[in-house]
Amino acid sequence: MTTKVLEIILIIIGGYYFTHRFIPFLFVRTGRLFGFKMKFNPIWQKRIRRFKSIKRGYYSYILITTAFVLSLFLEFFINNRPLYIKYENKTAFPAPTEWLDKVLFFKKINCFNKKSDFGQIGEDEVDYRLFAKMVENPEMILESLKKKEQEMNELQDELADTPVPDEYSTEDEIQDYNDLKYLISDVQKEIDAMRKSYRAFKENRVKIIMPVYPYSPHEHLLDMPGRPPHKPGLSHPMGTDDSGTDVLAVLFYGFRISLSFALFVAVIGYFFGTIVGAVMGFFGGWTDIIIQRFIEVWSSIPFLFTIMIIASVVQPNFIMLVLLLVLLRSWIGITYYIRGEFYREKAKDYVQAAVAIGARNWTVMMKHILPNSLVPVVTFAPFGIVSYIGLLVSLDYLGFGLPVGTPSWGALLDQGMKYIKYYPHLIFIPSVAFALTLFMVVMIGEAVREAFDPKVFSRLR
Amino acid sequence: MHGMTTYFIRRILLIPVTFIAITFMVYAILRMVPGGPIEQAELQIKMAAMQEGGAGAALEETGDIQIPEEAMKELKEYYQLDKSIPVGYIIWLKNILKLDFGRSYVYGEPVLKVIVSKFPISIYFGLIGYFATWLVCIPLGVSKALKHKSMYDTATSVTVFLGYSIPGFVACLILLVLFGGGTYWDIFPLGGFRSENWEQLSFFAKVADQLWHTAIPVFGYLIGGFATMTILMKNSLLDNLGADYVRTAFAKGLPEKRVIFIHAMRNSLIPITAGIGHAIGLLFAGSFLIEKTCNIPGMGLLGYMSIIQRDYPIIMGTLVFLVLIRLTGNILSDIAWAIIDPRIRFEK
Repeated sequence: MTTKVLEIILIIIGGYYFTHRFIPFLFVRTGRLFGFKMKFNPIWQKRIRRFKSIKRGYYSYILITTAFVLSLFLEFFINNRPLYIKYENKTAFPAPTEWLDKVLFFKKINCFNKKSDFGQIGEDEVDYRLFAKMVENPEMILESLKKKEQEMNELQDELADTPVPDEYSTEDEIQDYNDLKYLISDVQKEIDAMRKSYRAFKENRVKIIMPVYPYSPHEHLLDMPGRPPHKPGLSHPMGTDDSGTDVLAVLFYGFRISLSFALFVAVIGYFFGTIVGAVMGFFGGWTDIIIQRFIEVWSSIPFLFTIMIIASVVQPNFIMLVLLLVLLRSWIGITYYIRGEFYREKAKDYVQAAVAIGARNWTVMMKHILPNSLVPVVTFAPFGIVSYIGLLVSLDYLGFGLPVGTPSWGALLDQGMKYIKYYPHLIFIPSVAFALTLFMVVMIGEAVREAFDPKVFSRLR
Repeated sequence: MHGMTTYFIRRILLIPVTFIAITFMVYAILRMVPGGPIEQAELQIKMAAMQEGGAGAALEETGDIQIPEEAMKELKEYYQLDKSIPVGYIIWLKNILKLDFGRSYVYGEPVLKVIVSKFPISIYFGLIGYFATWLVCIPLGVSKALKHKSMYDTATSVTVFLGYSIPGFVACLILLVLFGGGTYWDIFPLGGFRSENWEQLSFFAKVADQLWHTAIPVFGYLIGGFATMTILMKNSLLDNLGADYVRTAFAKGLPEKRVIFIHAMRNSLIPITAGIGHAIGLLFAGSFLIEKTCNIPGMGLLGYMSIIQRDYPIIMGTLVFLVLIRLTGNILSDIAWAIIDPRIRFEK
């Protein structure tokens, strides 16, 4: 238990150093390598200082970013596959390969390990948790070996009682006899395998390193006593859901999916929104009017309803849902502000100067005006992320979100709704996680806003 | 006033354009994807055949059951699927203009009748929720503005941000777990619009029952709009308190209460009052979640169920209503704003 706590503390501290020391360092170094100055201009430096001085926002930022970066490596911490497994001279790295498989999504990497290669019987995946238990306590094998031997004795007795078939036996009798023989040889094989693995375990020729929390959000724990869902208990601090999946694992993987979903929607949406807003503000005139009218029409789409309709006929995957949200919603809001910024900046002298020396439109827009118009993007992003996380949860809750089986908070809430009378943990746990995450992101947004625009008192959205 | 008139004329002219664009898009999506009425009819016929022929005998045949050519044609004609998408859409639009929304596949009744029967329920919850939000947010926002940067302000800010981070339906879920008579207290019903025996109750019991069912959903709506409105109120009042006319009012010796509540309040209420139209549009957008959570048979639940059941006429009908409510709401907001605040100019 204490080692577990220690491990968790170590992971968190390591995560902090990785996220806030190593990554910025790497970023700055590579930037310099390519000849960038990698320093903010004084205005941004001031803004960042102001942001850091707002403690609640700054700490929330540290916490959320650390948690998110750590969550990108969740396969190493919360997984039913071990980091490393060795049986005699066979070794494998199931969790890292699984992680690699997800990172290199375009290539299939095999992280499957047969039971028979690792001293267990069968052709399906190794039961790693059992393996870990056996490493701790090899006598376990002895116990099951005893059981098997007893079974063997009974079978032998039965064989002795069965008459050896001769030419007068019926077909059924021959069949039974052969079956029995076959069974005995099977059990004999199992016993041999067990003896062999017992020796291997006893002589320490095995090794396994399990993740801190050895359950995965994709497995169904059907061998637990009682029927799922299970209430929170010692081995599963947050219980299981109705398919027997560990809720804690779902919660963490759900965090990763929700946050990366929101980030993707926000980044892609703001990218296109900025371009559209820039075009509107820079060119003005008819371009502006036409795009404005179009946005007016487009933003009147009741988009939750539309997404539900689309999702009801084609099961969207992660990428599709991101694109759908970008298309229907996330690019719109930012255009107004970028447009305004461009209108304002366009009239300033430096832009006139750039135009006068013959810079092309695109250069003026992207190189000169854009860096000075990014404030709304930064101040909007946190609130955008809040609303996109909320949207994903809502869609999953309604059953029109990511495919079934994807670890998600909304799906947990939907289950909680089903078992509302008997299993309150299925509602409490995801909603607390959800509220806490969003609360911290709101705190960040609030602080960013205050840092960037000190005269505004306190504003949501 | 000239600019204003053209502005509103343009806005109103844009309504049909927007309406047609959106409904056409959804119509096209619904037409292009499988699972439409023909497939459903096919499925029903197959099911019927299976039941008639007995399970065993029919199983072999199910693969071969074909709807006769003529029946298929008739079906297509009935659902106007024999026409191309634009033509079908124009026929649909013509029918809509005649207020003929078609018949629901599931309810077997005219769509308009179904929607009109659900509409008041949504309005009831939406309006009560909206005014409850006012009732909480205006005093809260005002007191926060008056005690800006005090302990009270910080403490309530935390509540406000927490409210912002919890969507209405999640708040409803939590309340339902706590008070819906499951593991904890049995105070409120687990959803529904009214009790089943509502008709037989006495007048006061009816009112009590209704309120009893209203509490949790309204709280959900309240949470949904609570944070934004409080902050809006606070900021708007702070803006006004810093304005010159307030300083003048103080300077000429008016009592503080009068300056704050008569002079500054009046102006700071403008953005909130003017937001009514917007808010109504938003209320309906959020109602899918709350109506599903609290099992309220309103427009939101109707739209949700119609999508699940692939009841296309209802989907289109709900869409028409949603779009119209949103569009008129936006324009009403602008008009309200122009009336309340004569300084407003929509032209650039």
